[in-house]
Amino acid sequence: MRDVIVYIEHVGGQPRRVSFEMSTKAKELATALGGKLHAVVLGTGASAAADAMKAYPFDLIHVSEDAEIDAFAVDPSVDYLEAAAKAVGPALVMVPYTMIGRDLGSRLAARLDCGQNADVTDIVIKDGKVGCVSPKLGGTIVTTCAFKGDYGVVAIRPNSFKAVPSAGAGEIAQLAKPAGKTYRVKIEEVVLEAAGELAVEEASTVVSGGRGVGGPEPFKTILKDLADSLGGSVGASRAAVDAGWIGHGHQVGQTGKSISPNLYFAVGISGAIQHKVGMRTSATIIAINKDGTVPIGEFADLLIVGDLFEIVPELTKQIRASAAVHA
Amino acid sequence: MKILVTVKLVPDTTADKRIDPATKQLVRSGVETVLNPFDEYAIEAGLQLKEKIGGDTTVTIVTMAPESGKEIVRKALAMGADDAIMISDPKAEGSDVWGTAYALAQAIKKNGFDLVLCGTQSTDSITGELPGALAEFLGVPGITHARKLEVEGTTVRAERETDNGYAKVTADLPLLVSVTKSMNTPRYPALKGIMGAKKKTIAIASLADSGVDKPVGHEGARTELIDLVSPPTRGKGEVFQAADAVAGATKIIEFLRERKLV
Repeated sequence: MRDVIVYIEHVGGQPRRVSFEMSTKAKELATALGGKLHAVVLGTGASAAADAMKAYPFDLIHVSEDAEIDAFAVDPSVDYLEAAAKAVGPALVMVPYTMIGRDLGSRLAARLDCGQNADVTDIVIKDGKVGCVSPKLGGTIVTTCAFKGDYGVVAIRPNSFKAVPSAGAGEIAQLAKPAGKTYRVKIEEVVLEAAGELAVEEASTVVSGGRGVGGPEPFKTILKDLADSLGGSVGASRAAVDAGWIGHGHQVGQTGKSISPNLYFAVGISGAIQHKVGMRTSATIIAINKDGTVPIGEFADLLIVGDLFEIVPELTKQIRASAAVHA
Repeated sequence: MKILVTVKLVPDTTADKRIDPATKQLVRSGVETVLNPFDEYAIEAGLQLKEKIGGDTTVTIVTMAPESGKEIVRKALAMGADDAIMISDPKAEGSDVWGTAYALAQAIKKNGFDLVLCGTQSTDSITGELPGALAEFLGVPGITHARKLEVEGTTVRAERETDNGYAKVTADLPLLVSVTKSMNTPRYPALKGIMGAKKKTIAIASLADSGVDKPVGHEGARTELIDLVSPPTRGKGEVFQAADAVAGATKIIEFLRERKLV
């Protein structure tokens, strides 16, 4: 393992935040391994995304805007990434731990016949080995796993690293189309339900609602307003998702997403173990609940006991007022 | 049509888990083993397809686990699956995603398949990497994170969840599909199902019986564990009784300022 390759996930030419976060860490690793740093950017808008990545220390940015990449699910991207990795030689390939990233990473690792470590929150070089740190079993244990072979694929949990811009050579290289491939999973239509919203795992602030929120409305009003005032996203507990108040993509917990935001609000959430495992690695946890004896009080940094329907809008008001003063 | 559903046996996440500091191993005693909750959605999807398609459609459960997990696999049969294949072999112990996917793929290929259904992830390792790797080793495309699935003849139509919505996709069999919890509500085994499951076949197979021609387990693993620790526990924080909305909000603002979060 010598070079480091970062797969840049982007939405129509705009790289996702995790792309920048990974790039900064990847440079540190490439330097430690004595190799080069590469980016691979694929699909419609790849050139624009590649330009945005020039603010980060890449030696080479490999690009393809082949129309097939967005016409078929996953497989064309795997082919391009595989070809890029084989051309580069023994490398650590970093993908984001997102729905697309883990799909791509798992297939790529099988192609490269190498190990994969997923939901990784830190990477350490220990005795020359690339050690991938990851919470397992709902964060009750933390493992560090290394790779045995020449290649390794690692899927990085968003919000794990700080993005620090620092330009490199940033040479753009066009990837050749992999020969003799036919694809079978055709994308007929893409429906955006939350266009422009930051995914819950990517947001640095998350405002989650639970059973105590009582219905679907507050997710669109008071919780969303608080999240917006802090530049964050709305999350939910399983109870709220199962009741149909908000989509599954917002669910935090054992059967939802595991996230590590800087600030997490648990509003009307009791904090059962199934929820805790998805948010316990948040830097700061604030709970608002009418009941002072809920389990979340045992691990939240602050539990406000009171009426969430009154406190949340008041808090939003105060945050907006404070922002206006500082603006 | 041959539908195969992969399942994993996992420690119950609601149970308290701890690491033995001396051996750096998970203390498993007293921790109940259960069917990975995510896999129940895949089983349910398989059963619903079988009910709809009818004919000679079968639902077969496939897993790699010690033989001691046989009765847990039987729960899937009680839900309505026809039979199960269990790869049980001491040499499988310590398999990583690569080894698990490789071994399952060989067993599935040996059995024959039209559609392979998986849960999206397991509650223990939560990597969500198995479906993709398995599809590669089976040599078929995959539709991951499907929330809607229809099969007509050999044509599959699905809605695949994305981070900001969903995509409508079509493909032909053979295929692998991973199923999200939005797709269905898994049934509880009825008494009749539980009684019937006792007579259903759970075929125990070694790695060699399953056609696994490469070392898996510890020996074949592409990754190695170099450290295992318990994370620092989160202590109990401050509890503040808010007399009214202003008091509650003001307290939060002060707290956020102290931590430089606003």
